[in-house]
Amino acid sequence: MKTVVRRLAGHLARGAAMIWVVTTISFVIIRTIPGDPVRAQYEKLIEQGMAPDQAERATAALYGFLPKGSLWDQYVGYLNGLIHLDLGQSLSTPGTPVATLIGSAAKWTILPVLGGTLLSFLLGVTLGVYAAIKRSGRLGDALAISGSLLHGVPQYVIGLLVMAVFTTLWPILPAGGPVDIMYDPGFNAPYIVSLVEHATLPVLTYALAGYGGWILAMKSSVATVLGDDFILAAELRGLRRGILFRYLARNAILPLFTILALSLGMLFGGAIFIETIFNYPGLGLLLVNSIGARDYALMGGTFLVITVAVVVANIAADLLYAVIDPRVRTGGAA
Amino acid sequence: MTESSSAPGVRVRDLTVVYKTPAGELPALAGVSLTLAPGTITGLVGESGSGKSTLAFSLLNAVQPPGRRSAGSVEIDGIGDVSQLAGDDLRRVRGRQVGYVFQAAQNSLNPLKTIGKQLLDLGRSHEVADLPALVRDARALLGRMGLDGGRVLDSYQHELSGGMRQRVGIMLALVLNAHLVVLDEPTTALDMITQATILRIVQEVHRERGLTTLIVTHDMGVAAEVTDSIAVMYGGRVVEHGPTTAVLGSPRHPYTQGLIRAIPRLSGDIAEARALPGRPPTLGTMPAQGCVFRERCPERREICDSVDPAPVAVGDRRVACHAVEPAPASARVRKECA
Repeated sequence: MKTVVRRLAGHLARGAAMIWVVTTISFVIIRTIPGDPVRAQYEKLIEQGMAPDQAERATAALYGFLPKGSLWDQYVGYLNGLIHLDLGQSLSTPGTPVATLIGSAAKWTILPVLGGTLLSFLLGVTLGVYAAIKRSGRLGDALAISGSLLHGVPQYVIGLLVMAVFTTLWPILPAGGPVDIMYDPGFNAPYIVSLVEHATLPVLTYALAGYGGWILAMKSSVATVLGDDFILAAELRGLRRGILFRYLARNAILPLFTILALSLGMLFGGAIFIETIFNYPGLGLLLVNSIGARDYALMGGTFLVITVAVVVANIAADLLYAVIDPRVRTGGAA
Repeated sequence: MTESSSAPGVRVRDLTVVYKTPAGELPALAGVSLTLAPGTITGLVGESGSGKSTLAFSLLNAVQPPGRRSAGSVEIDGIGDVSQLAGDDLRRVRGRQVGYVFQAAQNSLNPLKTIGKQLLDLGRSHEVADLPALVRDARALLGRMGLDGGRVLDSYQHELSGGMRQRVGIMLALVLNAHLVVLDEPTTALDMITQATILRIVQEVHRERGLTTLIVTHDMGVAAEVTDSIAVMYGGRVVEHGPTTAVLGSPRHPYTQGLIRAIPRLSGDIAEARALPGRPPTLGTMPAQGCVFRERCPERREICDSVDPAPVAVGDRRVACHAVEPAPASARVRKECA
């Protein structure tokens, strides 16, 4: 238990450091982008006839830090805002805090990403075991080829294909948006059905895009474990097939957990294409729109959230690993 | 639990195991016959690639693909011909009636489960009704081998040393009361002290439990120390098999003689140890006819090029060499044996 706490503390410290590095970089980038958007905004307001101190306050409200003063003062002000969870205000939707925009977008990303990734993980891992065990047969070949094919096709192509098939060729599902606006939001059947219908294609796309990687990774992992001596030893001790299979599967799936947690983190940013295709108002779409609108405060905020997601996923992966692999568990205690 | 409390005898007859290669199916064992007398420790020695492990695996009908048994039988008292078993019948023999102990250095235990849980998996697989008794037996066996049984059962593989793992392997092979035990290079990769300990344990447990034991090793010292009889393998054949003292004291087959000459002595000149010239044949370079050892043999004669010598009884041992017995006699003895 003490080990776990110490591990967690170490992770949190490292995670905080990483987040600090990323926020610093994004601060510097925003400040050094040609034209300096902060100063440009400030000067634009003055040009519009605003008094300098008023313009300064307006700009400060927008970016969360003062455009005047030394770079260091601005940096300190910016970090101070972050610590109080103040990400500034959006430029493209004036008056709305960035945190609010991100919060409402996050819920549209988290569930489909989680659902799609877990679906592809379960599918890929299960079929990967069969692909490895039957690797000299026709079924194994077919599975491996399906994995290679899907792994090779870019996410957005899969998204467009899925869209074409299910909304045009065989129009059974809605093409875009998160939900039909004609239903009252809330816990009622038509609204939930509409939510699920709209989420189906993005989830399917995440699942198809991830499936290839999982099946290939699991296949090679199982093939490696199959060659391990302890599997042969267990067989020569006459262990039942079911038990042998558990020995095999648990050892083979181990390295994939890290990849799973990491990919969950990465998908927060990687959802850009899929959310754009399906016009799904998640973080990816928010990021794309903020870039299009040169909404630097929103950009910075979105980057920050993606960074936090990756860092948290990393920590989760490591803690999970310690739970399922006894070698890691005691390794920390030494 | 039904137990056969007596040590079984083992009769391997004309066993041929072939491996599938791009060049066709090549024999790793070419008509091997070997008898393990009940209650004895037999050492199976030879260089890498001589077929020792293939023969050891055959006792559990566990030759790994791309290898397969193409001819011959492996009769074990109380079981019958193991090579005819398959599926659940074969699974039940493994572990319960024939114990197999792996090399120490290579990991023969599931890294993610404690030894105790793996012991329970073993018990459940073999329908052991009284699992607490199984755990008690295991603890007693481990204690017998000088380990703290309770602690070991609660440990993961990575928490145990090589010597401890090896004893756990022996425990798992014996805990279900198997009376035929196959040890595959049991002391390779262990330090000298641990090696001696393991060998002593093997010998003592063998005697106490009344086992028939086969030890596969490339170490003549190991074989000399613990075995009752030695079978020397070369090129997929048993070239000499007899009582340990006889085989080591007055080797008859030129290969055995070469092997023993190649052992450096602690006392004496290192130059006295003479390596065998040449290298052992691989599956691909095995001559199709004649004696497989002739290229390295100091006693080579004309007949060796065309006729593969059959094992013949010479006193209390069997030797397969034209230089030991003239060819016609060997043909006659082979007929008698069949």
